[in-house]
Amino acid sequence: MTATPPHPGARRYDVIVVGAGLAGTLVAKQLGDQGWRVLVLEAGTDTLSTWPGHLDALDTFYSATAKVPNSPYRPNPAAPSPDLLDIEGLPGGGYRSHGYFLQDGPLPYGTDYLRATGGTTLHWLGLTPRMLPEDFTVRRAYGYGRDWPIGYADLEAHYRAAEGELGVAGDAAEQSEAIGLPFPEGYVYPMREIPRSHLDRLLATELDGFPVKESEGAPDTVLRVVTTPHARNSTPDPRYDGGRGYRPVGAAGLPNYGERCVGNASCVPICPVQAKYTPLKTQARWDRRVALVTHAVVSRVLTRGDGRVLGVEYLAYDDPAAPAHTTHTAEADIVVLAAHAVENAKLLLLSGLAGHSGQVGRNLMDHPVLLTWGLLRAPTGPFRGPGSTSGLESFRAGRARRDRAPFRIEISNWGWSWPTGAPGSDVARLLGITGDSGQPRGKGLFGSALRATLGDEIGRQFSLQFALEQDAEDRNRVTVDPGRRDRLGIPRPVLTYDLSDRVKRGMVAAKAVSDRIFARLGADDRTAYGPGPFSPGHFRFAGRDWVFHGAGHGAGTHIMGDSRDTSVVDAWQRCWEHPNLYAVGCGSMPSVGTSNPSLTLAALALRSSEQIHRDLTELHRPVVVRAVPAPAPAPLSGGAVPAPATAPGPTPVTHHRGPEGQP
Amino acid sequence: MTTVRPPAGHTDVAGELALVEEPPFRVPRDRADLHLFLQAALALEHLTIPPYLTAMYTLHPGANRPAFYAVRAVVLEEMLHMALVANVLNAVDGRPRVAHSRFVTGYPARLPYSKDRFPVALRHFGVAALETFLHIERPEYVAEPPGHPSVADDDGWTSIGQFYNTIGAGLVRLAGELGEAELFRGDPRRQVGPEHFYNSGGEIFRVTDLPSALEALRVITEQGEGVDHTVYNTDDRIFGEVREPAHYFRFDEILRQRKYGPYDTPASGPTGAALDVDWAAAYPIDPEAKAADFPAGSEVRRAADRFNEGYAQLLCVLEGAFTGDPETLGRAVPGMLALRELAERLSRNPHPDPARRERGLHASATYEVTDEHFARARGGHLGTP
Repeated sequence: MTATPPHPGARRYDVIVVGAGLAGTLVAKQLGDQGWRVLVLEAGTDTLSTWPGHLDALDTFYSATAKVPNSPYRPNPAAPSPDLLDIEGLPGGGYRSHGYFLQDGPLPYGTDYLRATGGTTLHWLGLTPRMLPEDFTVRRAYGYGRDWPIGYADLEAHYRAAEGELGVAGDAAEQSEAIGLPFPEGYVYPMREIPRSHLDRLLATELDGFPVKESEGAPDTVLRVVTTPHARNSTPDPRYDGGRGYRPVGAAGLPNYGERCVGNASCVPICPVQAKYTPLKTQARWDRRVALVTHAVVSRVLTRGDGRVLGVEYLAYDDPAAPAHTTHTAEADIVVLAAHAVENAKLLLLSGLAGHSGQVGRNLMDHPVLLTWGLLRAPTGPFRGPGSTSGLESFRAGRARRDRAPFRIEISNWGWSWPTGAPGSDVARLLGITGDSGQPRGKGLFGSALRATLGDEIGRQFSLQFALEQDAEDRNRVTVDPGRRDRLGIPRPVLTYDLSDRVKRGMVAAKAVSDRIFARLGADDRTAYGPGPFSPGHFRFAGRDWVFHGAGHGAGTHIMGDSRDTSVVDAWQRCWEHPNLYAVGCGSMPSVGTSNPSLTLAALALRSSEQIHRDLTELHRPVVVRAVPAPAPAPLSGGAVPAPATAPGPTPVTHHRGPEGQP
Repeated sequence: MTTVRPPAGHTDVAGELALVEEPPFRVPRDRADLHLFLQAALALEHLTIPPYLTAMYTLHPGANRPAFYAVRAVVLEEMLHMALVANVLNAVDGRPRVAHSRFVTGYPARLPYSKDRFPVALRHFGVAALETFLHIERPEYVAEPPGHPSVADDDGWTSIGQFYNTIGAGLVRLAGELGEAELFRGDPRRQVGPEHFYNSGGEIFRVTDLPSALEALRVITEQGEGVDHTVYNTDDRIFGEVREPAHYFRFDEILRQRKYGPYDTPASGPTGAALDVDWAAAYPIDPEAKAADFPAGSEVRRAADRFNEGYAQLLCVLEGAFTGDPETLGRAVPGMLALRELAERLSRNPHPDPARRERGLHASATYEVTDEHFARARGGHLGTP
């Protein structure tokens, strides 16, 4: 890795990758391994790939008051990231947005990301469910949203490759049998599933086989607790890869370290032992031909008149705190934008590229999350293990999708941490401290009474997370505001976001399902939705209050499709109008189903890498200008000198590369 | 427990030294003899683990992180060595026994397989602890196995390397006498594999024949002392991993507060980057502490007793995995985490004895595991001390 920016114009690369997050890291890995010279430009810093940097992030997280996903990672004014603390709810409803994002929609976009080497995947939970085959054809099958130009079958091999690269722990037989996911015969994940939590087993006892109606007159849906695949070190499965097994990948930055998951329960935002996959693990195995330049904020994609792009312009800074930067350019045969859905859209808009369909920045999506929470009668063993080890998968598919958004139910192992900020908020509440510092402090509990109450209440906490599919709508969009710029002078993104009634109807169904589950469990339901400072996602629907949260699953903005008139990229994530410009990541997804999207992002990135390799190979293959005539058989005897072949002289030949890679 | 008087020069260890049982000075003659030697190797690999853990768990929280991770890496490799020896012992149809009171000798112990009467004590992180570790892992001239003309005058072991070479010689001899298949007739289901144990440098592998058994012995000796008169181990050659200094040299880096560079040799010493060590950032403990030193009924005493019982439980889990289903090795994890919490809690407490408290000493885990502890451990379960 080099920390020195290349001399402007002095070095050419085969590929420039913008962004060292999950997608960019995988593309660089594949192309570097195939011998291409790759330049990776990362807007943020590379501190976290070192062991002291990792420990510093841990310390920062431990001492943070609000343990939001970006809390371990130091703010970088030169390459700002959105933060969940940037949005606040207003007392009478509505929200106010601070920070990097400018927001002007009816509802806030409550999803963050991280601009640093490793990207947002540093603070992901690490769940890697595949999308369902029917998720790729929601328009054809259910009449809403947008269809993919490819299907599950086109992506299946890449799903397997991604599961190998990320090191997925899961039970393929269960995924197949309980959810109906098609796998090749005998397929096993690299590692065995992360064991079910105590709560998972508790819920399975009550809920497996239990029929639920999501509304009056609706058909029964039978519940079943199913383990979730994770990109997290567990027990390697010796059957993997035809019996060759799998060697778990340890930590980045410290040799021979990196444990199995031991349940530290802080996957979001940081796994202390690096059992969780992060792109830093893949970067440690990058070929030497991959050059990483950090502190390099790409400001523009440079284009020629004919639609092909030349390279990128980037702003290099040294000290994140100092308002000083220098401008550079780098050139390559192919440019790959892998900077996150919002940042990719921002770059395309700022560069004035890919505008034919009018869809750049549109169809912004997430998985809006509805939380429900309560107390069980028995201890739930909360705050141990990964955030979720199992889910209820019965509401992800089927005819109900015609009317409402489908949803996946994650069983949370971390008590009420997401809905209420437990357990810190429980301590504060019992001490009589309220969220409002203007109010006098109430009468609190102390000593053994405090400990006993905390132990009893926190020990019985549980919550369900309903992650809904958001349908692609072109009104949900990213634009840029040239009047409001970041520290380096780059216009900041403006987000305009709302939830469709289809999503809201999904939430109504989700809450009804939750009510039936809570009743079955005999749980004390403490779910409450209302406006307030911690509820920026408050809205009213069907005569009731609701609060939703962002899932951190930014998607859409440069969706793929089968026509240049209606989509931004083709099935290879290549911009229709720019044959050597790719935009990879969740931004390409025309629909997001109910699966946490990183695995699908990874599979798409691996698939695109194959096409980029083919494009590069093609660019280096000369056309045969003139056929060389076959030599005449030499006479066996006689001294006759063969007559020279008639030289027709050079024929002007137009160098046709042919249509650039139809999928 | 047999004991000897400690040598002069280690005046802070005044009491008697526990003796680790050593097999007779000869090449193993038959299968039963080989079992005896491998069981002794198991105890030898375990002997170093409590002193290393004590150094780690007496560090002030968050202090001396480079040193912490260096000791941690070594201790994980010692656990790997224990598992590899268990694999060899199982491969030759033996039965690894770790859950009995004679397996844990008690500390301070006399360093076995050595002519020196060197005390291996449980010491807080510091110069004395590192000097002990260097003595344990010291690369030295390895004498030929017993019976070789060059050692005709010796009447006992002179180095750990000699002991392991002798086991190797015994394996080769018995494979010749009994036939390789007959010697390695142990139940392959007892073998601990990479699905059961990882996270150390190197990797656990199954032992099924003479080459894999000799490979296991090679990993054990070379990770500790290095190879070919270099500072490095052979993890890069055997496992395709990052090349790292052997244990001896990693401890030497901490003691000398300087890293070994790529061109350094054992003779040159470390000339690489400076390594910052804060010698004061550790809780000093009594190297001869016994649980009985802590007043009966005190919280410190209860924690020390719970630690020893938890350690007995841990050894029961290990024995269950080595003699039954290796799958159960994972159950050791919550036990080890519980022990870490207990040990750290102990060393954060001043010593209850006023005289020792006056000297700035703190309480500590004592690793005294008795038959009574084992009896209770077999009745209880792990992870709930």
